[in-house]
Amino acid sequence: MCNFAGARGRGTPGKARGRGWMTGVEVKGATKRYGTMTALDQASFTAAPGEFFTLLGPSGCGKTTLLRAIAGFVELTEGDVALDGNSLSGVPAHKRDIGMVFQDYAIFPHLSVADNVAFGLRARRTPAAEVKRRVAEALAMVRLDALADRMPAAMSGGQQQRIGIARALVIRPRLLLMDEPLSNLDAKLRIDLRDEIRAIQKSIGVAAIYVTHDQEEALAVSDRVCVMNAGRVEQIGAPQEVYGRPATRFVAHFVGATNFLPAGFPGLPQTPGVAEWALRPEHVRLADAPAPGEGRLDGVAETYVYLGREAHLTARVGEARVVAQIAAPPADLRIEAGRPVTLAYDARALHGFDAQGARVTSGDAA
Amino acid sequence: MSAPAISAPARRLGAPGFWTAVPILAWVILAVFLVIPLGAVLGSSLRGEGGGFSLENWERLFSSRRYYTAFVNTLIVGAGGLLGALLLGAVMAFCLSRLRIRGARLLSMLAILALVSPPFIGAYSWIVLFGSAGVVRKGLESLGLSVPTIYGLPGVLIVFAFKFYPYVYLLTSGALAQVNRSLEEAAENLGLTPFQRVMKVSFPLVLPALSAGGLLALIHAIADFGTPRLIGRGFPVLATEAYTAYSAEVGSNLGMATTLSIALIALSMIFVALQRRLASRANTHSNLVNKPDKIELKGWRNVVAHVAVYLIALGGALPAIVSLIFSFRKTSGPVFQPGFGLESYQRIAATLTLPVVNSLLYSLAAVALIVFFGTLIGAYVARRRSAPAALLDGALMIPYVMPGIVIGVAFIAAFNTPPLPLTGTALIIVLSIFIRRLPYAVRSSAAALKQVGPSMEEAAVSLGLSPAQAFRQVTLPFIAPGVIAGAMLSFVTAINELSSSLVLYTGATKTMPVQIYLTINDGDYGVAAALSTILLAVSALAIFIAFRLLGRDERALM
Repeated sequence: MCNFAGARGRGTPGKARGRGWMTGVEVKGATKRYGTMTALDQASFTAAPGEFFTLLGPSGCGKTTLLRAIAGFVELTEGDVALDGNSLSGVPAHKRDIGMVFQDYAIFPHLSVADNVAFGLRARRTPAAEVKRRVAEALAMVRLDALADRMPAAMSGGQQQRIGIARALVIRPRLLLMDEPLSNLDAKLRIDLRDEIRAIQKSIGVAAIYVTHDQEEALAVSDRVCVMNAGRVEQIGAPQEVYGRPATRFVAHFVGATNFLPAGFPGLPQTPGVAEWALRPEHVRLADAPAPGEGRLDGVAETYVYLGREAHLTARVGEARVVAQIAAPPADLRIEAGRPVTLAYDARALHGFDAQGARVTSGDAA
Repeated sequence: MSAPAISAPARRLGAPGFWTAVPILAWVILAVFLVIPLGAVLGSSLRGEGGGFSLENWERLFSSRRYYTAFVNTLIVGAGGLLGALLLGAVMAFCLSRLRIRGARLLSMLAILALVSPPFIGAYSWIVLFGSAGVVRKGLESLGLSVPTIYGLPGVLIVFAFKFYPYVYLLTSGALAQVNRSLEEAAENLGLTPFQRVMKVSFPLVLPALSAGGLLALIHAIADFGTPRLIGRGFPVLATEAYTAYSAEVGSNLGMATTLSIALIALSMIFVALQRRLASRANTHSNLVNKPDKIELKGWRNVVAHVAVYLIALGGALPAIVSLIFSFRKTSGPVFQPGFGLESYQRIAATLTLPVVNSLLYSLAAVALIVFFGTLIGAYVARRRSAPAALLDGALMIPYVMPGIVIGVAFIAAFNTPPLPLTGTALIIVLSIFIRRLPYAVRSSAAALKQVGPSMEEAAVSLGLSPAQAFRQVTLPFIAPGVIAGAMLSFVTAINELSSSLVLYTGATKTMPVQIYLTINDGDYGVAAALSTILLAVSALAIFIAFRLLGRDERALM
């Protein structure tokens, strides 16, 4: 259904280097059915040691099911998960040595911050002195050393999630799983903490699998992104690839904003096999006349929304609506509804998809 | 770091996981203490005098005028109990949650008192006041006012209304507290008068809670045995007929008792199913932003509101108050003398310590079982959203709907003979309380667990604890206050359990409620009042502990 096989061949360093290497995580044909409902459908990927790998998709796409299957909380109907070359099937969750960070933090409210972090070490019967040392290290890493003896109940969401990260990492897991760890936090904190999470993960070098439905977050933190839809993998690639060269119509639609125009639309090229064109707003500009290498669309302005750093102009072009992104809009720019506008677009930025939604052209404007 | 190389088949062949064992255990418990007794009940109802298969019991049920009357009467007391409780409960709920009433805390404590008053005390206290020799009746008669006695259907309905109104009151005031004030403000903003606002906004929103509470009153009313027995006097209902059929000195008829029991179960089931549907609708709106405000009434309206709520609350708590006072009245033998004294308690200490000790022992034993199994099964039901878990949850509702008298009869029918000859033992009483109250514990532990969320336990598992360890170390401490509070409330219901033990007791296994019943039948009201007071004091202590741990939540008592 899509050409993710191609994308995968390019983007899996662990596999590409051949035998003898620690292969990190390998998911093969993961399938999960609940009765007649298929939550996961033949999902496969590998993540290299030290890689920050993100599962991105809308709610219900199977990303959390896949993560929970890796953690051992969900048993796959078919398929297998291997860690460092060993199959995890039949290994109960508590023997997998996989750290997990939860969406709702899952901080034990009856334990202090330090006891929360020490929890996994005590479960492993680590000597007390070492527990103390490693807990202190982990808390310093998430900048909570000053709050070690506090009870977590009254602490903010951001602080609680920091505890969650320290708690998952202090056991030196073979793999770190994060299930939408930032989705309950407010926007500003989300950005701060996501940068922090990536920095910590890189400094430790543990492979991380991160689940999110927020495409901007996925692009910001990941080494590679795996876009999922309806239980299936749509595309795996670096953020630039996923955004700049979407493998399917779904990826173009879900990652970033996109204008979709039907094939044969006036002003667009005629390419055999293309059923639909995708064109990102930042590749459309308001112009008197297109520059060389640009296409031209003539339409009528509908709305002009000023957002400060940028503005969005929506124009009616024939039967379709096209959004153009205007970077650094001049303060005196006003575009009234009904005014005829000429839009110019970068022809290399057009992505063509066939009737099944698979990529046809090799447009490249990333 | 090397991975533990555990091959897949090794585990699949191993011991079943912790959370596989729990439902198996639950089904075994249900099979032995519910399915077998119910099967025995059904079998016994289908056996004729000769011992072979026969429908003669059922023919008698449908052809005999006597049982037809009992059936109709059961419906009448059910409907009457519902209406009375609805009226009193709705007035209480609306007044206490929307009006500024002085002494509101005292009033809701009185409502709890009504809820936990031991069975029979209610009936008995009303007799003391309004019976043929009732204190209030005599007093009014000396003033030249003639008041009819409490006996008969009107009396039963009055007692039910005051006894069961807390169900409606607690559910409805809970729902009223959840009605977002913004909704009422919006209605006000749209031009509705205060009365219209109540009728068009608040009332429809609490209607599911009102009807759920009313049906709860109905369910308890049709299962109630003591009130129709003592106050009804010749007003037969299914529960009393089942007991009579079982206990008649001459011609005891287990087959008829079991047949009547099945009729009663069927009736209860219908209303419980209805109640559950309404109750599930009652708790839908809860994202509360603005707490509703209380208004202060002025002038005569304020007086009317206060008089109404105090009358209802005192009426409900009357049994408890009367037994407290009468337990300290001077007596000579069974006869009251003027003045106060401790004779009733002295007589209990001298001759009736056995029921007191029995009650405490049996209740504690039953509660221990209830807490242990209830917590485990509750955790399973709350966590697994699978069809088997839902089936188990549903099956657990059956003991919940079984009237006590039916459980008693069913246990006799099942455990009279080997392989499990339990009749006459203390164990059979403990087990009857256990199975009957297990659903409450399962529900309350499931409710507590649903607030914890599964990720806490999963976090512990991902950190290296086995599922059983994770439950014990993480979930259990977290829900411990709720579990202990639930245990205290189970204890209250266990120690007040009468109707099943009435069928199951022998001389050596008498409990306090049974002794109260027997004592009242003997006309020894002083001792009955003293026993009731002891029962109340023990219950009050348990409730106090529960509220300390749980925060005050009267609805947990239902």
